[in-house]
Amino acid sequence: MFGSTSSSQPGFGGSGALSHAYLQYPPLKCRYDGSRGLFYDDGNKLLISPTTDQVVSWKISPFSSDVAPTTDTISEGPILSVRYSLDSKLIAVQRSNHEVQFWVRETGETFSQKSKSESDSILGFFWTDCAVCDIVFVKTSGLDLYTYMPELKSLDLVETKKMNVSWYIYTHESRLVLLASGMQCKSFTGYQLSAAGVIRLPRFEMAMAKLDANSKPVLAAEDVHIVTVYGRIYCLQVDRVAMLLHSYRFYRDAVIQQGSLPIYSSKIAVSVVDNVLLIHQVDAKVILLYDIFADSRTPVSAPLPLLIRGSPSRTNAQSSETTLTNNATANLYGDDWIFLVPDLVCDVSNGFLWKIHLDLEAISASNSEVPAVLEFLQRRKLEAKKAKHLCLELARSVIIERRPLPMVFWAIDVLLKSFAYSLKTGSYLKGGKPEKPTVSGAPENSESGKSVKNESASGVESRTVHNSGFSTSDSEDNNNNNNTNVRNVKAKNININITTNSSSENIEEASRIGDHSVNQPLNANVSEQQESQVTSAAIPPDELYSFVFASVEEEMIADASYLFAIVVELIRSASLEKIKLHPNIYVLAVRLLARNERYAELGLFIMNKIIEPSKEVALQLLETGHQNIQTRKLGLDMMRQLMLHHDYIVLLVQDGCYLEALRFARKNKVNTVRPSLFLEAAYASNDPQHLAAVLRFFRDFIPGFATTSEHSTFVRALADMTPSVAA
Amino acid sequence: MDGFVFLKCPYEYLYRTFVKKLIRVSRVGGTVHLFYSGLFCCLHHRHTYYHSPAFRSIRFSGRYTMGLSSAATTTTTPGEPLKFCIFDLRRGQHEGEELEKILFFFPADLPFPAQLSVVGLSEGLITFTRIFSPEAACEVIEAEMHSHVFFEAEPDIWMVMVVAKSKETEAIWRIEALRSVLKEIHSLFVMFHGSIRMLLDKEPGGGLTRSHLYTFIMDYLSDFLVGNKFLLPNFRDSLKERGTVQMLTVGREAAIEVQSLVGTLDSCMGNALGYSVILFQDLLVSTTLSPDDTVNLFSYSTLRLTPRILSSGGSTWSYLRKGSSSHAESALDRLHGFQDSSSARGDNYQVLRPLQYGKWSKGKDGFLVTDIWGVEVGNLVPTTPTIWLQQIEHKMYLCAYQYKSVTILLLIPVTSMLNGEEGISMLKQQLLENASSKIHKVEEKLAKGWGGENAYHVKGYRYLLVDGDNNISRASPSGKVTTLAKESLLALNKVREDVDLERSRTKGDDLEICIRAKNNSWVIARAARGKQLYIVLEKANETLLYASEAVEKFSDRYCDGAFSLD
Repeated sequence: MFGSTSSSQPGFGGSGALSHAYLQYPPLKCRYDGSRGLFYDDGNKLLISPTTDQVVSWKISPFSSDVAPTTDTISEGPILSVRYSLDSKLIAVQRSNHEVQFWVRETGETFSQKSKSESDSILGFFWTDCAVCDIVFVKTSGLDLYTYMPELKSLDLVETKKMNVSWYIYTHESRLVLLASGMQCKSFTGYQLSAAGVIRLPRFEMAMAKLDANSKPVLAAEDVHIVTVYGRIYCLQVDRVAMLLHSYRFYRDAVIQQGSLPIYSSKIAVSVVDNVLLIHQVDAKVILLYDIFADSRTPVSAPLPLLIRGSPSRTNAQSSETTLTNNATANLYGDDWIFLVPDLVCDVSNGFLWKIHLDLEAISASNSEVPAVLEFLQRRKLEAKKAKHLCLELARSVIIERRPLPMVFWAIDVLLKSFAYSLKTGSYLKGGKPEKPTVSGAPENSESGKSVKNESASGVESRTVHNSGFSTSDSEDNNNNNNTNVRNVKAKNININITTNSSSENIEEASRIGDHSVNQPLNANVSEQQESQVTSAAIPPDELYSFVFASVEEEMIADASYLFAIVVELIRSASLEKIKLHPNIYVLAVRLLARNERYAELGLFIMNKIIEPSKEVALQLLETGHQNIQTRKLGLDMMRQLMLHHDYIVLLVQDGCYLEALRFARKNKVNTVRPSLFLEAAYASNDPQHLAAVLRFFRDFIPGFATTSEHSTFVRALADMTPSVAA
Repeated sequence: MDGFVFLKCPYEYLYRTFVKKLIRVSRVGGTVHLFYSGLFCCLHHRHTYYHSPAFRSIRFSGRYTMGLSSAATTTTTPGEPLKFCIFDLRRGQHEGEELEKILFFFPADLPFPAQLSVVGLSEGLITFTRIFSPEAACEVIEAEMHSHVFFEAEPDIWMVMVVAKSKETEAIWRIEALRSVLKEIHSLFVMFHGSIRMLLDKEPGGGLTRSHLYTFIMDYLSDFLVGNKFLLPNFRDSLKERGTVQMLTVGREAAIEVQSLVGTLDSCMGNALGYSVILFQDLLVSTTLSPDDTVNLFSYSTLRLTPRILSSGGSTWSYLRKGSSSHAESALDRLHGFQDSSSARGDNYQVLRPLQYGKWSKGKDGFLVTDIWGVEVGNLVPTTPTIWLQQIEHKMYLCAYQYKSVTILLLIPVTSMLNGEEGISMLKQQLLENASSKIHKVEEKLAKGWGGENAYHVKGYRYLLVDGDNNISRASPSGKVTTLAKESLLALNKVREDVDLERSRTKGDDLEICIRAKNNSWVIARAARGKQLYIVLEKANETLLYASEAVEKFSDRYCDGAFSLD
């Protein structure tokens, strides 16, 4: 597994160099003749490149380098900004500070919306799926909320929010617009325009360090970023003087500063890949990764540069392709790089659009603290399969390397906790697998399973599950937080509910799921289902057994007690999380105890039901019983208690206790065991009395037995036996 | 010898026909030679001073019960309710050296001829019965006035207890119960001092062995001393089984926590390959020792280490042994001049008294300390106790830690602790650092789940459940047993005797006995696959069907159906 990571060791050069985040070649080429700039419509996930009379757009979700552009014709004129309506029926183009023009794509009709006064200029606009309006204009005097009237081909002003606005930022995934005002542009007002309605956030000030008493730095729009991770909304603000990145978290009725991250470059860009925060230190050309789930302020890994992977080798003929790539490589973090929310980079001069990926292997290889890495990997959803695989490898290797037990215990605990969590949130689905996890909240699981079939009915319920999942994580998060301030506030806070789906590919659908709308789009639910099946890195215990324990057992023969301690811890963690374990794990526990001849302890484990009774365990006990008769008894008792009457009787007969077996069969009405089995056993014991008794038993209790060939065979055998003893 | 009969017959036949007149039977090859005489004059050629003791029956090897009737003389003076001796058949083989045999005798102030008469009779009977059953010789002699209980503790080393049958009706014993006292004395002695044979080999004079045995057994017996009399386990203790452990029943979750703690303790001991035993109150929770060693350590802990003992004077509940009060020892010393006699004998041996009462106490750090094993010169730190395990013949350090009701015993091989006491204190430090939070958690869980001293009471039943394979027993709390009528207990005592006999004969086949006592109580015994169940039902319905159903119900509910197979 880690063989592939070795390729990312430094020294290989080019695409093989070490990095934790990379751009995958080829990029989406979005250069278009006559292009007059590039615009990003994050509501529709479109990259738009207008020409004088055309709007060319590329769909960038799902990201593919060979997606064909769509073209719409518009009239000529200056273009300050372009956005499609969320239902893609309209194109809105900001022509000037005072005018936005609309095209109805079907008919080509147009209409315009102008600001009323000269002094009141339009800073920008965005479409929204908010319940009260369709489009929002951000103006220096505040917000104008409009609905679109298709019949009248015009906008209808619904509401105005008055305030002075210097600049604003908005991301569609958070549905949050932040309006900056004041001399230093550091006091903010926020609105969340979600399907639940418009939520006004309390006004808050951002912290700005001063160089000296007189200087008053002004906060610029590019220094503030709205970030959505794990369904929570944060705002990151660059303080160039203090060289700190302040973070704020938004709650429904409070904005709380969360602490600051150090920065090593005055220019900072922020991306989010799979809920991991990537802080691009643009001047230093390195990236720092943060996983702010657990409120840790330490980066996940050491700073490493961003690399382009998979580009054609430079030794190839100097095709235009290679030159382009070389240009791109040379242009890493160039001045005309634009970072698009959440994980895209646009190289404007080359006309390339890159998507940023995480190299999970490299990240996991660069950190020796396995439990922390496991926690990190367990939270990854984008490459869940790979994360899961890496987790299994890591778990295996900590055991094989005989790392200190507390560390292994912690690692096991992390994996099981994560699995239990995924069960609770319903993100872990296992179609077709017979083992239904028994969790107190199991209905959620079947609920979401049902919703696959019956999308419309269960859509809301399923969403609730999703929601509750996040709020759980939320409270955990806050509990961990030492900041008492946060905790106090949190008590009365309800989170701003934007349970955005964490996968960037499905942002659009996902964010609709996050909304409170009752009339959800049907496909949203489906997409979530499909996604959840592949996006959980959680490892069910039976896979943990087969990929980790089963495979290390052979190698750990000499150190069975070490492995046993780990198995006990696994059982403990599972019991704490109320996860049912596969019998194989118990069978392994029995084997390990037997290997060290710890039979007395084995008895205790069985007696206290730490090793849960099952047929597999009983059979293992019987096998172990060859060395230790007490253990065999345990196995037999377990068989009996599990009501495995047939097997129990066969085993009793094997032990020569055929009379007891017969009594047992009679009492429990077991009639699946062949009479000949008993008869042969009795015959083998060479005791005519017993044989006669067994014969009599079957004659009495099996109708018609006296006429069978078996009967006559053994009657003859009995007759042969009797005189020899009498003699 | 008059009347010489030469016979060739199987044992059973011999027993049935000639047993009443039997004097000596010897076996040469496959042939049994039987010597017959009307007079019982000599059992063993070297001991001629016993003439016709009053035998009612001799039982040996569990296969034969011989009724021998003849004139009665007693070997013991009346008024000695208890005699107890240990002797070694390999010693004192020559005339005049007979005293060499005796390793221990109680009462010590009995004149030597009287001591020798007890030992001589016992030896004679052992030699005699060995003829029939070389592997397991005499078990008991029931004479008119006394019962002689035999136990071969080690090859050729015998423990014999002679208890007087008095008119007092309390003096009704079950022989196996008395033998189990002997067994317990021996196994505890071996745990602390090593085997008697080993001690004798080390010091052939026997002085060391004698002083060890004397102090040890006297300390042990002090627990039975009530006033001036020894109260041996009698029929009132029929619902108890010595030599077994009593387990705490724990839920799965708590059991897992306990196992996790066991793992932590293991890792505290590092590569030393130690063992751990965990007790809650007077009940066993977990052990990594073999069953035999567990029983020994468990017995010792409940005698001297558990919180109830340490706090002393605490409440009396189910597993509490009667009469162990702090004044017992002083009474014993007063009675027998214990301190003086040991010094008067002029022994200069340093005698270890692990059973001395009130010598353990809980230190500030939670570890139990005692100066029984001496005190390190200079710094007054008590030496860590060491014990022997049967399973592996290593000397082990015994380290006991107590937190509230939980007692944890750690056993670490002496050989693996290269720096001795220093290593032990490091281990203690490690335990405090790594395990104490887990110990607290376990204590909390166990305390929450524990139902108090009557936790294992089953309404309407008085029971004893013995799992002979694992040396585990569980019984009705003693407070509840005392409500039983004397007749019921006597009937139970009788049933237990019968079961003991039957089991020794058939080697543990299933059996069932159900009797109705004089007072109309039901006494039921069942044995199945190494487990025994004794139940007394008073005020029960009079039909046998009822009694049998009551047992079935009990078996299904509390024994996983182990006794309701057919």
